[in-house]
Amino acid sequence: MSFGLEAVELVRTFGGLRAVDGVSFRLQPGELLTVFGPNGAGKSTLLRMLGGVIRPTSGQVRVAGESADVAAREWRHRVGVVSHQSLLYGELSIVENLRFYGRLFGLTDLDARIMERLASMDLSDRARTPVRDLSRGLKQRVALARALLHDPEVVLLDEPYTGLDPHASAVLREQLAALKDGRRTVVLVTHNLIQGLELADWVAIQVRGRFTSVTDAANLDPAGFEAVYHATVENPA
Amino acid sequence: MKSYAALVWAVARKDLLIEFRTHERLTSMGAFVVLIGVLFNFAIDTAVVRPQVLAAALIWMTIIFGGILGMGRTFRLEEQDGALTGILQSPIPLDALYLGKVLGNFVLLSVMVLLVFVVFTMFFNLRFSGNPATLFSVVALGVFGFVSLTTLFSAMATRSSMGESLLPVLVFPLLVPVVVFGTTATDRLFSGRPVAEVSGNLRMLGAFAILFTIAGAWLFRFVIEE
Repeated sequence: MSFGLEAVELVRTFGGLRAVDGVSFRLQPGELLTVFGPNGAGKSTLLRMLGGVIRPTSGQVRVAGESADVAAREWRHRVGVVSHQSLLYGELSIVENLRFYGRLFGLTDLDARIMERLASMDLSDRARTPVRDLSRGLKQRVALARALLHDPEVVLLDEPYTGLDPHASAVLREQLAALKDGRRTVVLVTHNLIQGLELADWVAIQVRGRFTSVTDAANLDPAGFEAVYHATVENPA
Repeated sequence: MKSYAALVWAVARKDLLIEFRTHERLTSMGAFVVLIGVLFNFAIDTAVVRPQVLAAALIWMTIIFGGILGMGRTFRLEEQDGALTGILQSPIPLDALYLGKVLGNFVLLSVMVLLVFVVFTMFFNLRFSGNPATLFSVVALGVFGFVSLTTLFSAMATRSSMGESLLPVLVFPLLVPVVVFGTTATDRLFSGRPVAEVSGNLRMLGAFAILFTIAGAWLFRFVIEE
């Protein structure tokens, strides 16, 4: 059986430190995996590896059953990343930022794609606004529009709710929920248990580089999860 | 090939668009050039020393020091809000990113060089009767070599804890050939010597520009990748 996204024994070391230590998971297209973990657990390193920014020391990533070289340029066409940073240029307008990234991806019919993406994020009327003038919530929506511009099949979200007020978080949550359209596979990394559980199909806890558990969210008791999480972080297996 | 050139241009265009909007680097380089012109104007007694004799050295020193001011901030834009990570997550080849940065820097430095010639002509009443195309070639090749080298080292300096202050220490020793051949050729052209006398310098400047650019494009990935 082939999966949308599969990680097999991924390892990343920095000197003697194993920042990611034998991480494996399998996701079907349309599924969202939320990875929880304390600071320094290796969550962002895992996402940076899946995003192709850093190379795995060992292990494999498979998409639709085929091995994917995450270090290859071609992989970037298949992945979109949203981080707690906007990854945007403050001096450029929303549309200029998207146009720049669209050119880096070699996209055709760029203007049409940009307008479509801005409309879906409810940003059309602000297309010419410099990004530096946007609120944190709007910046995160532009960041999501940027990440989806090339229509990736894998979406990686690294603490996307950081710094958002409750309303902006709710708006972003709606946008992220729309990603579960059956085509894309999503990996979300967060500290926030409530926000992380809202959209999850699978829930993993990462401690000291390792996944201590990967649980089907349908079988999870949200009320009791916090206690499980704290117990796991304090006494990892 | 066309798409590769489009990627290079996309990076250069973005840098230039932001610079011509903020004037951050042009302002500091331009202010430095004008200030140096004013200071040299007071420091050099033109009744004792003919400015023509010193012109080449002063011009190249101003280009080097003024240029370092602007080139050191090449990757400052990318430090904002993780923009460099955004680029690294795109499929652009890293050598195309480097060449885009070099192209953008070359345009910016060319604007500064133009100002250098205007300022020095104004303050020292310089007269140039030689071949302007040759002078243009000397300056363009020297500046391109300078930009190729400083763009690479600027990426390195940005990623170090010492930041911009590291850049001059790293690049000045490597810039010696550009300064020597650039100054010698410019001096000969200002002295009205025949073009044939600078052809060797031109070849050396061209060779260094090509060498620095190829080496920079190859080495850039080791500097920028984690």
